[in-house]
Amino acid sequence: MPRNETVQDLQLDEYKYDFVTDAEPVYRARKGLSEEVVREISAYKEEPEWMLNSRLKALQVYESKPMPTWGGNLSELDAVLDEIYFYVRPQDRMEHSWEDVPEEIKDTFEKLGIPEAERKVLAGVGAQYESEMVYHSLREEWEKQGVIFDSIEDGLKNHPDLFREYFGTVIPTQDNKFAAMNAAVWSGGSFVYIPPGVHLDTPLQAYFRVNQERMGQFERTLIICDEGASAHYIEGCTAPVYSTESFHSGVIEIVVKKNARFRYTTIQNWSNNMYNLVTQRALVHEGANMEWLDGNLGSKLTMKYPSCYLVGEGAHGEILSVAYSGDGQHQDTGGKVIHAAPHTTSSIISKSISKGHGRSTYRGLCKVHEGAHHARSNVECDALLINNTSRTDTYPYIEIEENDANVGHEASVSKIGEEQLFYLTSRGISEEEAMAMIVRGFIEPIAKELPLEYAVELNRLIELEMEGSVG
Amino acid sequence: MTDSLFSKGVTEALNFSAVEHLCIGEPDWLRERREHAWALYEQTPMPTTKLEEWRYTDLRKKLQLDTLSLSQATVVPDNPTAWPKPLRKAMKEDRQASGHIVVIDGHVVHSDLEAELIAKGVILSSLHDAIEQHPNLVGNCLATEAVPPEEGKFAALNAALWSDGVFLYVPAEVQLNTPIRVTRWLSEAGVAQFGRVLILAENASRISYVDEILSDDFSEQTFASNAVEIIAKERAQVQYVSVQRLGRGAFYQSVQRTLAHGDATLDTLNVALGASVSRVDLNARLLGEGANSDMLGLYFGDEDQHFDFNTSQDHVSPHTASDLLYKGALDASSRAVFRGIIRVKPTAQRTNAYQTNRNLLLSGNARADSLPNLEIEADDVKCSHGATVGELDPDAKFYLMSRGLSRIQAERLVVLGFLGEVLSKLPLGGVVEKVTRVIEEKLSQH
Repeated sequence: MPRNETVQDLQLDEYKYDFVTDAEPVYRARKGLSEEVVREISAYKEEPEWMLNSRLKALQVYESKPMPTWGGNLSELDAVLDEIYFYVRPQDRMEHSWEDVPEEIKDTFEKLGIPEAERKVLAGVGAQYESEMVYHSLREEWEKQGVIFDSIEDGLKNHPDLFREYFGTVIPTQDNKFAAMNAAVWSGGSFVYIPPGVHLDTPLQAYFRVNQERMGQFERTLIICDEGASAHYIEGCTAPVYSTESFHSGVIEIVVKKNARFRYTTIQNWSNNMYNLVTQRALVHEGANMEWLDGNLGSKLTMKYPSCYLVGEGAHGEILSVAYSGDGQHQDTGGKVIHAAPHTTSSIISKSISKGHGRSTYRGLCKVHEGAHHARSNVECDALLINNTSRTDTYPYIEIEENDANVGHEASVSKIGEEQLFYLTSRGISEEEAMAMIVRGFIEPIAKELPLEYAVELNRLIELEMEGSVG
Repeated sequence: MTDSLFSKGVTEALNFSAVEHLCIGEPDWLRERREHAWALYEQTPMPTTKLEEWRYTDLRKKLQLDTLSLSQATVVPDNPTAWPKPLRKAMKEDRQASGHIVVIDGHVVHSDLEAELIAKGVILSSLHDAIEQHPNLVGNCLATEAVPPEEGKFAALNAALWSDGVFLYVPAEVQLNTPIRVTRWLSEAGVAQFGRVLILAENASRISYVDEILSDDFSEQTFASNAVEIIAKERAQVQYVSVQRLGRGAFYQSVQRTLAHGDATLDTLNVALGASVSRVDLNARLLGEGANSDMLGLYFGDEDQHFDFNTSQDHVSPHTASDLLYKGALDASSRAVFRGIIRVKPTAQRTNAYQTNRNLLLSGNARADSLPNLEIEADDVKCSHGATVGELDPDAKFYLMSRGLSRIQAERLVVLGFLGEVLSKLPLGGVVEKVTRVIEEKLSQH
């Protein structure tokens, strides 16, 4: 932002993604979760028998698991889920050409700037609207090299063997209640395969939009980055603000094979009525590298802990997490690294900002299994508190079963330094601007890892959210 | 043993009639408290690993409460020659003291205090004597403010079944120059033993209190429970040191709470060297403005020892400070759990709270779990925590070996240096030497 431009000049709304598009869905399942809904979803997707059975089994697992009592407040969730539409089909088929996407839906994504970004900087784009991917495209050059970037449904249809080999192997149905729910009702999400040795030099992006009120979105993404390949996948999420709660529960499974590199970036900016309970996990093989870049700015409650299971010798995992919690928001986020092979290394850096009545929680696990000798891990968490009503928590779990390992965790909590503020204001910068500058500096180590457009966007959001925080 | 029986805590020996038996000759208020505590004990389910606080210590595997009987030991005469040799040896190593208490198998057999301090109104006695002689002082604070039975299953069990303990009262402005030393000996195997400590430090008083519990190895599981209540009034300075050197076969369980009022300083040091299983719950409450607590911990595990520390630092008032440092070395297949939490309430602005846990793993089979937690609800605070688990610093080892030390000597020196940091922060005469010696003994087995 130019130096003299103030927040008001940017003419940003409180939440600029708060617009509703008048798009009639072609089909909407009954409210709530039931076997009937699960069967309907499967039938609509013309799935093979094994997939239907897998969904029905998952539904049983979901019902048998108790609601978690840790993390955020989920006491009202059961009531919310009864009112939620688990499946809304916005259009009859997925398009591969932007022109063919229905006008109303296209309009939504135009407003979000997706097609423009595609033209400029992306290797491929997927867009999900309610329960289905409405658009998927991949640049021809990558398609020729054997890269697959498709909706998860087309992945199952067109690459059944590859799909079945990996689906549910990184995050089994039994893993947790919401992974089980997703396994029962998943719809939409991406299927990505990067062949050995292929290096995607620009990112793939998926954009998730919830438009309708009382909507539940359950995308499922499966990514296989084959030996020696590299790629970057970006996920963005928004929804309009309704007075009722919505629900989003994704499952992201990633397999990073020998010597491959993969980066997964999420910029979650759901509206403040969204429950966002996501399971993300990567299996990282020998010499491979996995990076999670996790930005949580929106939602009412997010519970999300991207994980790296370092299963091959020399594997490396990295989690960079930034969270912002304003009034009524609780970001319960962090990361997990499991060292299950020798010479594995990992790092978690988490930064959170809590403002007003917001609450940010870091929750993480670093585990070194016996035999994972020469494992190294470092965890750093910094929390910034803006108001005296803000709250922050840090719950790191460190479990070490191997003596030849070095693991460290550090966390600090502070408010914006009075000296820093004083210095900046003494240089003629307004207090509000100074606050924003300090906060930007605080999250800089993470912002600089983002693609430029996102970094700019993150900075703008922070600027915007810091408005009125003085005093 | 069935699940339902276990969850009610009904065992053959630890039962309501045992509580009733203890009440004989005690005042009514105490009977009510014991009965209330027993009722709570029965209502509270036995903690399982599903509870966050007990995640890494599985009581179903570690503790067989139903096989324990209550102590039947009779009172040993107040005559050192009648006392067990290790107990006498431990006391001989203690340097100067303002007073002593000796507890053998749950009975206070000896108590002395400098005449000058008695004249100033200091009270050091068994809990039973204190209840008779100072019913109001004890009655107000015993199992009410600091460790009430509501605290949890074990706090309730202790409040119902404690056999005797120590009462220390220091009047306002009275300052003790040397520590009060308490030595406790256990000899009965297969029993459950319940002790309590109540320390009341009035305004601007000063004391240090050293508790040492020891025993030989036990042939059957022996359960030693302790509830420690410490109240430091305004500007009081209190140091509490606990050295646990029980033999193998012992399950040591200690619930401690410290209440620090305005500008009080209340420091603790917990040293765990012995027992098969040791569980310490320590809650430091910074109640008054300007209160301060340093919390130190040291442990050395070998064989299959299991240490579990569960600490909390509660900041309620502004300008309070707490600083925790727990360090341990783990050899063979021993295991340590550290779970600490700093809680800063919205009322506790300008708080400084720190928490550090460092573990040294000396063997491939040792295990350390560390959970340093923060819950911060005030914005004008300085809080940080850190935890590390690692191996011996190879550079330090290399340096020492290059100066002519053998590999074993170098390793011992590095471990002693690592653990010595804790002792140097609370260098009480007698404690440092004794603890260092035990660690050296353990290291020679490495």
